[in-house]
Amino acid sequence: MTTAGTRTVGVDLQESSEDNRRIIEAIERDNPDCRIKHFPGLIKIQVPGRLVVRRETVEELLGREWETHEFQMAIVTYYGHIQEYDDDEIVLAWDH
Amino acid sequence: MAVKALYEYDHPSRSRQELYGDDELVHVWWENNPMFCAAACFRVPTAIGWREFIEQMVNPWAASDPDFQPGSPTDWTLDGQPWQPDEARSLADLGIGHKSVVSFRAPTTI
Amino acid sequence: MAKKLPLKQRYAALTRDVHWDPSYVAAEKVFPHTTFEGIKIHDWSKWEDPFRLTVDAYHKYQAEKDKRLYAVLDGFAQSQGHLTLSDGRYLNAMKLFLQGVTPLEYASHRLFADLSRNFNGPGPRFAALCQSIDELRHTQTEIHTLSNYNKYYPGFHNWREMHDRVWYLSVPKSFFDDALAAGPFESLIAISFSFEYLLTNLLFVPFMSAASFNGDMPSMTFGFSAQSDESRHMTLGLESIKFLLEQDEGNVPIIQDWIDKWFWRGYRVTALVAAMLDYMLPRKVMSWKEAFELYFEEQMLNGLFPDLAYYGIRPPRHVEQAIAEKDLVSHQVYWTLYQFGFAAAFTTTVPEPSEMEWLAQQYPDSFDKHYRPLWNKAKRIQDGGDRFFFQGLPELCQVCQIPMTFTEPGDPTRIAQRASVFDGERYNLCSDGCQWIFDREPEKYRQAWLPVHQIYQGNCGGPSVPEVLEWYGITDGDNGEYLGSVEHRHWQQWHAQQAEQTAPMGS
Repeated sequence: MTTAGTRTVGVDLQESSEDNRRIIEAIERDNPDCRIKHFPGLIKIQVPGRLVVRRETVEELLGREWETHEFQMAIVTYYGHIQEYDDDEIVLAWDH
Repeated sequence: MAVKALYEYDHPSRSRQELYGDDELVHVWWENNPMFCAAACFRVPTAIGWREFIEQMVNPWAASDPDFQPGSPTDWTLDGQPWQPDEARSLADLGIGHKSVVSFRAPTTI
Repeated sequence: MAKKLPLKQRYAALTRDVHWDPSYVAAEKVFPHTTFEGIKIHDWSKWEDPFRLTVDAYHKYQAEKDKRLYAVLDGFAQSQGHLTLSDGRYLNAMKLFLQGVTPLEYASHRLFADLSRNFNGPGPRFAALCQSIDELRHTQTEIHTLSNYNKYYPGFHNWREMHDRVWYLSVPKSFFDDALAAGPFESLIAISFSFEYLLTNLLFVPFMSAASFNGDMPSMTFGFSAQSDESRHMTLGLESIKFLLEQDEGNVPIIQDWIDKWFWRGYRVTALVAAMLDYMLPRKVMSWKEAFELYFEEQMLNGLFPDLAYYGIRPPRHVEQAIAEKDLVSHQVYWTLYQFGFAAAFTTTVPEPSEMEWLAQQYPDSFDKHYRPLWNKAKRIQDGGDRFFFQGLPELCQVCQIPMTFTEPGDPTRIAQRASVFDGERYNLCSDGCQWIFDREPEKYRQAWLPVHQIYQGNCGGPSVPEVLEWYGITDGDNGEYLGSVEHRHWQQWHAQQAEQTAPMGS
């Protein structure tokens, strides 16, 4: 049986905009184990166990303020459970 | 298990036989021919003779496949049981019920 | 203006704090629908919304999404974008989408409006309200997006009426009607969890990626825009199921039963998507099999279900049959659409040789053996100046309403026939999954409006094919064979004109 720590979680993001490229870069930086797949118009990011999107990293790469709600402009779909969604970070993981 | 509802739940079938008068629905399935994605459904008088049913309805449908030879069907089943139709008798006499499935095998080339 | 509250407090203030408990009317009278299904809720406040969406944030981001979409639509229309599609055939996929899926968005809008009225707790009420508005937005943006093609191509003009009448559209319509006719918790598990979380990725993501690949930027944009709402909807689904499972142990078997039913119901609807992905896209992006493995097997069976095992939930009943069918289902369904194409509001054709090669590569265990020979024979018939059509009406499954084309588990050469007798009447079913669903609630499914039976009862315009097509609102050029069709000729003429008007280099 697999455990919550090893099963992958992931997000699919729209590939298109400048902003999204910075967000993807931020996710890569904060999730060094991530695996990226490209589909037309779409980028799929998968991480074993836990995926985090950190506001500070995104802001640093965008060079402007960014609120976590803005992630809704980039996301196409995800799998996993949203364990945390507050002003500072979004965390995807399985509970059990 | 019954439907869970806020009131007594009892509605008639929307395909019950009485809605077709003296007719019924009969399905015909050419078992060994994958050209036909499904069995055909016919509305047909229960009093019609088997021979008329085959000639007037089944043959024109089966001829959608240009390799169909009228008269070639064999190995009949009725609702999954091996069965031999008697050409002179009616569908009702032959025990073909509303929404029954009649199947056969016949040669074709794919 | 005062400094904005942190997200969690803002959510609590703007969503939870606007709720009150009724004092002079009993709660059961205000919320009369949340007990009869047997689900027990002890504390509605335990329901979590991870997005912590508030009405101000909702409006802000939804407006931005729409602005982006309409900029793409304008640019595409202005620049004759329809001429840059991969091929005229591509639009058949979009016709099926507009006729089959867009009206489901509207049905979903109604469903969630109803849920937002009926739930006792403010958390799920507000989430359902947002989803209801989302679904209306999806309906509108899809109609707007695809209306541009209605100027140039047949098949886009009567989708709303078609959805209520045409045989293959009764498949998605009856699926949603089934959910709308259930209690609030069942419809939540049906749509939010079993459909949105488990299956909509299979519907939207590969398909919208394919729109991008086939030059249809507007459809890609509305698809991704809708799908970004979908991630909130998936969250509603997952939060709901966890909430219900945690509230009372007695809820577990009820929920399992609904997952078993609604997985199979929804899976059968996605069979139409399987056919679109593998056969209707001139430029392929991903096979149905690959999409199923990635979005369903990897993410749901290997990711989600081990998580739900903690609560005593197991993978859906009959899932092994869906897995076994991944090599077969797209071929079986498109073959059905091809031979009933005279009664469809889109056109179909034999796959091109290069497409057959692609299908053989994607489906090494099934295509060459079972399906290529059928297409070769259809091609021979077509080369002889004829076209293979099923000259009649098909046997339908009483539950999923798809013509009974699916095969026996383990034997792709033999159509599966199942039948149940209820109250003295025989009902035919396509699979163990649909039979299990029928036997659970025969009183419900015996009322199914089966298109073939309705035609034979004289309720669809008349007994002949032209009369039925007229009643469907299918006009000449909407249906039949693609080669030589109105859209095929238009496509060729426009592209010939473009070539004439372009000065060649080096002449």
